[in-house]
Amino acid sequence: MLTSGGRQADLLGDLSALTRRALLKWIRNPAAVLPGFFTALFYIALFGNSFNPTGIVPSNINGFQLTSSELEEVKTAILSQTFGGAATYISYLTAGIICLILVFNMAFGGIDLVLDRQLGFLNTILAAPISRASIYFSGVIQNMVKAMALGFITFAVAILLPNGLMLGKGFGVVDFVGAFGALALLAFALSCVFTALALSVKSIDSLVAIVNFATFPLVFTSTALFPAADFPSWLKAISNFNPITKACNAARLLMINGMLSSSQQISFGWDLAYLAAFAVAMGVVGYLAANKALAPR
Amino acid sequence: MRRLMGSIIEADKLSKLYPPKTKAVDGVSFNVEEGEVFGFLGPNGAGKTTTIKMLTTLASITSGTAKVAGFDVKHESARVRESIGVVPQELTADDELKGVENLMLLGKLHHVPQSEMKEKARELLRLFDLEEASERRVRTYSGGMRRRLQMAMGLVHSPKILFMDEPTLGLDIQTRTKVWEYIKKLNVSGLSVFMTTHYLEEADSLCRRVAIIDHGVIKVLDTPARLKERLGGNVLILEVSNGVDLSEFLRTIPTVSDVSRDGHMYKIKLPKTEDAIPAIVDGITSRGLKITQISFLKPTLDEVFLEVTGRTMREEEGEAQESWVQNVNIGRSSS
Ligand SMILES: Nc1ncnc2c1ncn2[C@@H]1O[C@H](COP(=O)(O)OP(=O)(O)OP(=O)(O)O)[C@@H](O)[C@H]1O
Ligand SMILES: [Mg+2]
Repeated sequence: MLTSGGRQADLLGDLSALTRRALLKWIRNPAAVLPGFFTALFYIALFGNSFNPTGIVPSNINGFQLTSSELEEVKTAILSQTFGGAATYISYLTAGIICLILVFNMAFGGIDLVLDRQLGFLNTILAAPISRASIYFSGVIQNMVKAMALGFITFAVAILLPNGLMLGKGFGVVDFVGAFGALALLAFALSCVFTALALSVKSIDSLVAIVNFATFPLVFTSTALFPAADFPSWLKAISNFNPITKACNAARLLMINGMLSSSQQISFGWDLAYLAAFAVAMGVVGYLAANKALAPR
Repeated sequence: MRRLMGSIIEADKLSKLYPPKTKAVDGVSFNVEEGEVFGFLGPNGAGKTTTIKMLTTLASITSGTAKVAGFDVKHESARVRESIGVVPQELTADDELKGVENLMLLGKLHHVPQSEMKEKARELLRLFDLEEASERRVRTYSGGMRRRLQMAMGLVHSPKILFMDEPTLGLDIQTRTKVWEYIKKLNVSGLSVFMTTHYLEEADSLCRRVAIIDHGVIKVLDTPARLKERLGGNVLILEVSNGVDLSEFLRTIPTVSDVSRDGHMYKIKLPKTEDAIPAIVDGITSRGLKITQISFLKPTLDEVFLEVTGRTMREEEGEAQESWVQNVNIGRSSS
């Protein structure tokens, strides 16, 4: 329903008013922003060190002692063969952690929308002559902006950490835009799904239940934390279709390599196309679901 | 009150079924005239909020039809939304925004031009005594301030009709009186109002007509005066110092409909007006008699409500309200 009465409803005006309100609330509440920074730090530092696969290479195998230079070689080989040539495990991990943060923030970002319904704010705006689409898209955008901000923070933290993210040679502005473009497509698609979900449920409890049920399989069937090479074949198949895999593979390719070879460019292009198609599909599905959820009951 | 024109609300056999079988509203029909303050009264769970939700496009209509500001609620909901202001039962202003920001947001969502909106916000903040608090976050507002802000939010776009669901709930007497003044002021400037309330004296003083709804059905609909009249009207009770029979004299007064005597006590029915009281008192004292006690019983909407719903608002509210006997004890002597 894009028209409001005789005149064209001001979709962009409504959208910006609603989005502005949500982001104003967010910025004004440091309790909501600050933990994001620490979450990013913990994820990177904790996963980066405790999961670090190169840290578990033994220097002594059945009495055979590796010299420290041999040990370094083994570690480098692991990184280059299994982890796409990343200089450090954190270099591999960063894109995955950003995806993880996107997923969880997107999923729980819906709580604000459920609160809007519970506190009656939603009814107040529903009684106004605004297009229902602006309510849905403002939900999508506010969630996306909040989560992407944390994504940028995570990226910065990873770079600043000692032995952290070592960007590939020649990584420039275009690569940055490319990497975060892929992540933003994922963020948009997930935001559409979770916004529609949040507009449809009546209570925070049911939102949290569904989110918990949905997010873990989504994350752990992806290559966010580990490459697919060692996955069993069924998992590999699932992982291949998982948009999180596509987004973190695309972002990771750029972060690790900087300049892409032509075959890498093709692989990046396919991932991006997949993500764009997924984003459009989720946008439409979410829109239809949200329209239903916002109709008078 | 403004001169009345057409109907601003036309509800025809409006019903709402909450599955599986809660008939929240069961075929109500009524018209609200343009420029009128219309009161919707009823005990808890009677269906007042549900009716408002249907009329303001927030709840679907199970059966029946409704027109608001000339537009069909079901099929022209966008047009209806342009014409209405809503002050819901709950407080829905955004806690984290300032008072003025809440108003500006609502103005934007109603497509009021920015320049106009600034002026409008100032005007409303002044009207509702919120000027000083306007730059504070709503989180820091008292309950009364929130209610007033909520009313202001319903008015940012100068609606044709304002729906208010218990606008004075939880307000102290002073604030409540002030809100009545606002409503009267707005009505004088042309606003039609549809309101629900638990306070019957509020309905009595504000509403041109009231409907009493119970179990989703409208039981009576009329002006407060006529509803009270149906209960038999006002009664004047007098005690006179001497046993002389005054019945003949009292019956000669035109607005007196009935007189009964019990010794020194007289029970005088004055169904329409109390204007005759001075004449009665003068007549008695000029006969050299003393009035030793006088009380005036004026039925209120409470009695109407009791008769119609079988419950008093007191039972509903669990709070004591003043007795309907206005005892005007003028003492032992009247000279
Ligand atoms: N969303 C809902 N789902 C199911 N039943 C509902 C819903 N909303 C209201 N009801 C029921 O409909 C009936 C009418 O409720 P409504 O809120 O309209 O009453 P009300 O007259 O506004 O009461 P109050 O004075 O307490 O505000 C009640 O029995 C209530 O339980
Ligand atoms: Mg109610």
